[in-house]
Amino acid sequence: MSIWIGAMQKHLEGHKGLTDHNEIVRVDAGKFVYIPLMSMFSTNIEVLVKEGDSVKVGTMIAKRNDHMTVPFFSSVSGKVVGKQTIMHAVLKPLEHLVIENDGLYEKEQPFSPIDFEKATREELVDFMMNAGIVGCGGAGFPTYMKYKNPQNISTLIINAVECEPYITADYREISNNIDDLVLGVKAMLKLSTAKEAWIAIKSPKKELIAKVRAALVGVSGIVVKEVPDVYPMGWERTLVYQLLKKRYDRLPSEIGCIVNNATTAIAFAKAIRTGMPIVEKTLTISGNGIKNPANVNVPVGVKTAEIVAKLGGYAIEDVLLIAGGPMMGKTIPNDQFVVTPYGNAVTILKTEKIDSVACLRCGRCNDTCPAGLLPVRINNAEQAADLDTIVKLRADQCIECGLCTYVCPSKLDVAEGVRRAKRILQLKKK
Amino acid sequence: MKFTFRVSPNYRDQLSTGRIMRDLTIGLGVIYAFALAYYFTQYSSNYGIHALGLMATSLIVAFLTEVAFAYFTKKKVKTHLLGSYPWVTAIILTLMVPIATSYFALGFGTFFAIFFGKLVFGGFGQNIFNPAAAGRAAMLASFAGVAVTDITTSATPTASIAQLGWMIDKPEAVTKFLDQFGGLQNMFLGLYPGALGETSKVLILVVMVFLIIRKVIDWRIPVFYLSTVFVLASLIAVSKGMGFWYPLFHLSTGGLVFGAVFMATDPVTNPTSASGRTLFAIGLGILTVLIRVKANLPEGVLYSILLMNMLTPSIELLTDGWQIKNVKKYAISFASLSLIGILLVFGVSTTMSYKAPVVPEEPTITLGDPVGIFSDETALAPATVTDKVTEGDIVTLTVSSKGYAVLQDDHSEDPQPNVLIVKIDTVKQEVVSVAYATFSDTTNIGDKTKNAKFLDQFAGLSIVDEAAEVDVVSGATYTSVSVARAVRAAIEAVLAQ
Ligand code: SF4
Ligand code: SF4
Repeated sequence: MSIWIGAMQKHLEGHKGLTDHNEIVRVDAGKFVYIPLMSMFSTNIEVLVKEGDSVKVGTMIAKRNDHMTVPFFSSVSGKVVGKQTIMHAVLKPLEHLVIENDGLYEKEQPFSPIDFEKATREELVDFMMNAGIVGCGGAGFPTYMKYKNPQNISTLIINAVECEPYITADYREISNNIDDLVLGVKAMLKLSTAKEAWIAIKSPKKELIAKVRAALVGVSGIVVKEVPDVYPMGWERTLVYQLLKKRYDRLPSEIGCIVNNATTAIAFAKAIRTGMPIVEKTLTISGNGIKNPANVNVPVGVKTAEIVAKLGGYAIEDVLLIAGGPMMGKTIPNDQFVVTPYGNAVTILKTEKIDSVACLRCGRCNDTCPAGLLPVRINNAEQAADLDTIVKLRADQCIECGLCTYVCPSKLDVAEGVRRAKRILQLKKK
Repeated sequence: MKFTFRVSPNYRDQLSTGRIMRDLTIGLGVIYAFALAYYFTQYSSNYGIHALGLMATSLIVAFLTEVAFAYFTKKKVKTHLLGSYPWVTAIILTLMVPIATSYFALGFGTFFAIFFGKLVFGGFGQNIFNPAAAGRAAMLASFAGVAVTDITTSATPTASIAQLGWMIDKPEAVTKFLDQFGGLQNMFLGLYPGALGETSKVLILVVMVFLIIRKVIDWRIPVFYLSTVFVLASLIAVSKGMGFWYPLFHLSTGGLVFGAVFMATDPVTNPTSASGRTLFAIGLGILTVLIRVKANLPEGVLYSILLMNMLTPSIELLTDGWQIKNVKKYAISFASLSLIGILLVFGVSTTMSYKAPVVPEEPTITLGDPVGIFSDETALAPATVTDKVTEGDIVTLTVSSKGYAVLQDDHSEDPQPNVLIVKIDTVKQEVVSVAYATFSDTTNIGDKTKNAKFLDQFAGLSIVDEAAEVDVVSGATYTSVSVARAVRAAIEAVLAQ
């Protein structure tokens, strides 16, 4: 907080107690799994198998091959049935490759393990690319892109923050795979050419901090950094500013750092050790709209409906079914969307009535916006269809974190107004 | 199963506009409770009841205006009221007026505040001016002087220093001046008459802390507003060789602290960006000091709030943009505005001078309706002749007549009648002169009857003319009649000889 700008962040009630200590439930795939053919909103993906082909867990079934390479793998063993268009967690109907599950889970290594210490940096980048390691931003950004050409990188920041309410999947995944975390971070440190890696964890997570610190005894160049429990601390810019007190224009590499998620490091470590890509995910299924909130371990491509059924079903008739956390996740109007390699939660909330009143002009949205925008001004300009002002107000910089709507005491959909303004700008550009 | 679709996020803070308004109401309630306690204990129950009546009047007018508006615009009354918060405006307005305000004046102010201050702009959230401030300004413009009832209090510190040209450079005069109000300390505590809710700075500041902690108001506004006034007043103090009392006096007088906490912070009428609110607050500080010392208006706070409300849209335009890229611009605006303020106030301070208090001249009075010496009015509560001395043709009578204090209970502990000396010429059969021996009615009102213009009317009145009459003093009817009653008693005593 300064005199000129508000806090640009906010502590949120996390509801993490619902799922942070109970058992992780294993959910097996049903008769079919559906692998979404989407990468960074691109559907320009080449399918490598035909109807009737048999596949195993780990078989490469498709590949994006334009300016980036992203392989897709089967999460079960069985037979390719064909393609089907179903709703995806990004709230768009997309093509999915359907595989019939034979229930045997026979494995096939799509690539061989690698000794990261011996491998050259370039070999390691290729390995990361072929292993299909993607980030957790909801759209599956291929991680190797960040390491292709590192220049003047001094710090690698490993993001273990998990700032969305309700979600504990990353926390559980990290606590259960501390050794892989350390291995993955070491390998990424080598890739990044940075001198130091900082693992950022929220300060209230004392148990996890102690565990990671213990595992780092004797490891040089990797330290744990505690960060405050505020939203959106998990967003790159907020995190980088918290740790370095510096801002950047487009990419963190401008100020000498690379940011990666802790779970991405773990997936990378697993690939390095076992030669297997991400075929399963730990997901948090939580909220007051489900009978038994829990973390589940589930193959990629399983429909949400099956997971909910396994957990005992919905708690009420009318729910908001959110792909992701309640802040950034979108409500999906049916429960047919599937587990992706880049999602980590489904939040199910009771649908409650919202009584909104006129904008109080209190400026809370402006003070809290982590991107430093003026959401209420953008909303006003959008309502007045004042394009010049929308441009001036930089609506394009909105990350759709949802904080402006969260803080609005008049209960207005402030973020949605900004989103509309942003869309106007995008249309204008084309 | 129903899967409802809603735009994200689907998570919201507990804090609602309703709760903000509730906290604000509680804060204002505390201030009002203090005012009631003060008037009930330091004055009398009549003052306290008048304070209750004022609040009731304002609330009723505010609600009626809103209900009528909802009715004519075909809105659901309940939803409209819940989203319009009329009571906040009514309470703030009531706390801004002095106890002597008439119900009618406050009712008018409230209607203006709600209707012209808010509803005509399109309702809550759309208004440009703080409604309460607009209402108060309308009252000041329409009722200058006559907004008072018979209830009186002494002059406020702000009005008093305004008469002195907003400065006192003689140390002896300073102490004497401040002692009228029980010293600065007393002014901070609020134990002197002023606007109902504006006097106790200490209490308002306590409420301010509560409101800041509860995130109801932004700390920037009161902090920057008050600091600006403090710094600029210190500047005047230094350039004029006045002591530290001067900036403290500025802070403790008038509606500054009240306005800074309750009116300047009105989110609807101040900028929505943090940087904008900072500039807004500094602007308020500069204007308040300038209006006080230069325009010599006691209500500097009120007018500066209205002026800055008007500038809010421009400030918004100035701070628009991408905040994190604008920091430099914000800092430059802040620095330039502060510099402008310092230069202006410094320049103005060179033109200021101490105006020594003038001994008040005999107040001019106006005469109103006639009252007959032998009329029914004087027959009520007959006066008593307590002494009679005859010297030749002239009889001098001492008459005790119950005036306003006794008959209407002016709330003093032990009300006393007025005592008059009436001289009558028994040969010419006329009144020679009437004069006060003891005056016991209300200062500033009843004592207008001491004026020669009134008393001289009695000289030469025939004591045998049943229709003899004099004109009462406007605004002091009771006391005038009590004098007539004394004269009647004196005449009757002479005729009975
Ligand atoms: S949703 Fe966009 S405008 Fe709203 S707070 Fe987040 S970044 Fe700012
Ligand atoms: S938080 Fe809501 S009420 Fe406050 S200024 Fe923003 S939109 Fe308006």
